Amino acid sequence: MSTLIEFKDVVKEYKSGDNVLRAMDNVSFTIDEGEFVVILGPSGAGKSTLLNLLGGLDSATNGQIIVDGEHVENFDDNELTEYRANNVGFIFQFYNLIPNLTAVENVELMKDIVDVDIDGCAVLKSVGLENHANQFPAQLSGGEQQRVSIARAVAKQPTMLLCDEPTGALDSKTGVLILNLLQEMSNDKNTTVIIVTHNAILAEAADKVIRIKNGQIEDISINVNPKKVEDLDW
Amino acid sequence: MSLSKKMLRDIKINKTQFISIFLMAFLGIFAFCGVCSEYYGLEQTSNDFYADNNLADGWIYNTTITDDALDKINNFSTDSEKQLVVKSVGNFSNDPDITLHFIEDNKISKFNVAEGEDINISDDSGVWLDKRFADAQNLTVGDNISFSFNGITIEKEIKGIGYSPEYVYEASPTSILPDFKDMGFAYLSHNAFPSNIQYNVLLVKFNQSADDFEDSLEKSVDCLSFTRQSEHVSVSQFNEEMSQHKMIGNVFPIVFILVTFLTLLTTMTRIIAHQRTQIGVLKAVGYRNRSIIMHYMSYGFWPVLGGAILGLVLGPAIIPNLFYPTMSYRYSLPAWHPGFDMSFIIVAAVMVISSLFVSYLAARNISKENPANTMRPKAPNISSSGFLESSKLWSKVGFNIRWNYRDAKRNKFRALMAIVGVMGCVALLVSAFGMNDSMEHLKTWEYDDISHFESKLIVESGASLSDIDSIREDVNGSTIMEQAIEIKVQGNEKVGSLLVLNDTNLISHTDKNGNPINLSDTDISLSAKIADSLNVGVGDTIEWHIVGSDEWVKCEITNIHGEPLSQGIILSKDMLEESNLTFSPTSIITSKNVTEDYDSIKSISTLTEMKNNWDEMTGSVMMMVSILIFFAVLLAIVVLYNLGILS
Repeated sequence: MSTLIEFKDVVKEYKSGDNVLRAMDNVSFTIDEGEFVVILGPSGAGKSTLLNLLGGLDSATNGQIIVDGEHVENFDDNELTEYRANNVGFIFQFYNLIPNLTAVENVELMKDIVDVDIDGCAVLKSVGLENHANQFPAQLSGGEQQRVSIARAVAKQPTMLLCDEPTGALDSKTGVLILNLLQEMSNDKNTTVIIVTHNAILAEAADKVIRIKNGQIEDISINVNPKKVEDLDW
Repeated sequence: MSLSKKMLRDIKINKTQFISIFLMAFLGIFAFCGVCSEYYGLEQTSNDFYADNNLADGWIYNTTITDDALDKINNFSTDSEKQLVVKSVGNFSNDPDITLHFIEDNKISKFNVAEGEDINISDDSGVWLDKRFADAQNLTVGDNISFSFNGITIEKEIKGIGYSPEYVYEASPTSILPDFKDMGFAYLSHNAFPSNIQYNVLLVKFNQSADDFEDSLEKSVDCLSFTRQSEHVSVSQFNEEMSQHKMIGNVFPIVFILVTFLTLLTTMTRIIAHQRTQIGVLKAVGYRNRSIIMHYMSYGFWPVLGGAILGLVLGPAIIPNLFYPTMSYRYSLPAWHPGFDMSFIIVAAVMVISSLFVSYLAARNISKENPANTMRPKAPNISSSGFLESSKLWSKVGFNIRWNYRDAKRNKFRALMAIVGVMGCVALLVSAFGMNDSMEHLKTWEYDDISHFESKLIVESGASLSDIDSIREDVNGSTIMEQAIEIKVQGNEKVGSLLVLNDTNLISHTDKNGNPINLSDTDISLSAKIADSLNVGVGDTIEWHIVGSDEWVKCEITNIHGEPLSQGIILSKDMLEESNLTFSPTSIITSKNVTEDYDSIKSISTLTEMKNNWDEMTGSVMMMVSILIFFAVLLAIVVLYNLGILS
């Protein structure tokens, strides 16, 4: 597998008045194409910051972020928008669906962004929601909303799926279903899936586990035989 | 496409807010265009009427317009037309006053035919009659009508009925409101005059200014008087009415528009701020900033566009038509059309563009932030604890007040907008109610503080002094003399009224603030308004003469009085006679409620009728006041609703 993502000495600092908070301190790692990666760490460790930098939602203060050979850290606003549109599918803890659009409309919203022929119903079917296509987010359960969110993310066929605590707002049973779906995306469609979580159990299912603490890499480990999500001891 | 659906559903879900934005835009444009359209309509209709019928630039009056004078005047005028204008009495039970114009041409101040045939100068059998009079007396084309003047009676067939640009407003001798049954005008051919005709009015058109023309006239011809167009009673009265409407129309709608702009700005900013997380999500999934900004710009655009268009259409269609029926009762124009001005479209366009701009600013501020920040709720502004919070008073203040105070402090702009919005609406309300009070005050001043008579008997012009005296004794009243006069001070002239009192306590006097003052039999008092405009005061000398007489009187002002209605000079019978003028009573005033008819009395007005006439006369202004109060309250509700619901 070729390297898709490379973080080299990435630093992210936030300024608040005279104070400077270093949220990411010389972080370096690589992620291969099609890998199922879990980024673990306690609250405030810098997991979401890492995901934001990787997804082009925020810019690094220092260091290099290379994705598919492109230096993301040098992108201007328009290039970052383009990068997010074509390369990144986001899955958020609280789903962040557009509340006034139905499930299928939330998926087909991506038609405005990428030059890909999207069949919203077909994508929803792939996440098991073909019967809920015309329902609004408020009419769906948390798990169903998260599946719409996944459908929206994969509809534009991104290079990677970035998932920020995707099961954080779900009960464990639904959480397993979602994680299973994400693992399938990685295994069956060779999509690079990166999940940020504080739930250490998930580490056993990952191809690669990046442990992060206080804005620094604590450990990077590779599972030679990752377990299936459904086989984990929840 | 999906974003358009999002917008429509957002509008549906937040319909109350969007309806209030729509209403604000609608109310602002509706009030602005409606009120402006009303006075533009008056201006455009009257100007067109004057232009189409070639209203004279001036009127030269003399006992006879001689050929020699005419030749001289023609040297510095562009056109002229001689008329014999005489007062006549129509042969009807109520003896109406009909002003007859015997004309030798119909090219200046042309009679505007509404029914019947055009004026034929060689037709000596026909008369072209005032439409308002004809309607009031149920006369139609083909009817015969007779007039008596100077001991002659002529009977003519009505060949046409119509309007004249000189009679848009017709002053009534007996009341402040015209009664078209009692007065009118008629145009006849000079051939219709039964004897050798001697013209007494020359209508002139000129290119130079009225001042220059008057100078040239004074240098070349001896004439009784000259009236320029702007001072003609019909033109000046209508202009005065228009300027009142214009004044209200200039001030109030601008406040409406400003309040609308300000609240729109705050409302749009808040609506877009409420969509912050969704903006963040759209950015995160890869929407371009431009698409997001365009999407949110459409939020303000559609309701404001809808409101502005509706206001633009309904304002001129509705508001002028609320005024015109009242106006057309007092003024005679062949048509009443709401006016239009490009400023209506400009203001509506500015409203729409500014809504786009406000939405743009609000959306741009959010979309400028990086997506990661945008998806998080905006951190509240940090505000320092100021003087109030460090004072002892603060600990005694309740929680709700502290919360509100800090909210206002953190959102200074919104708090300011709320204050300005409410202030604007309150200012509108105070002004509108103030105008209402002023009108009531003027009525009380004129009819309660100054006039104490119950009935005013208008004396027939030819009545004998003995008849008048016997009626005066019968009704236990007092005679007064009222005449139109011209007052001159160092070349400045003003038209006013003369009131001569003959030992009566039925009329009191006040100063310009309405406080009672006493005028003795030796006083000559000038009204404050004329004194101010002529820049004269007590001790100064003025010259005046009764209109139609060439005897100028020079006198010293001994007092200044205030009056809401007629402006001019008040003096006693003794002082008048001291100036070698004759006291010719024009009315008898009495504290009795007189209902019986007297031969030498033309008409009787009671105080109640006069008050009713005042209400009629001020009806259009009061209508404007009511409309303003209604919209100011509505706007205040919308503003408060918007600012309240969004906090």
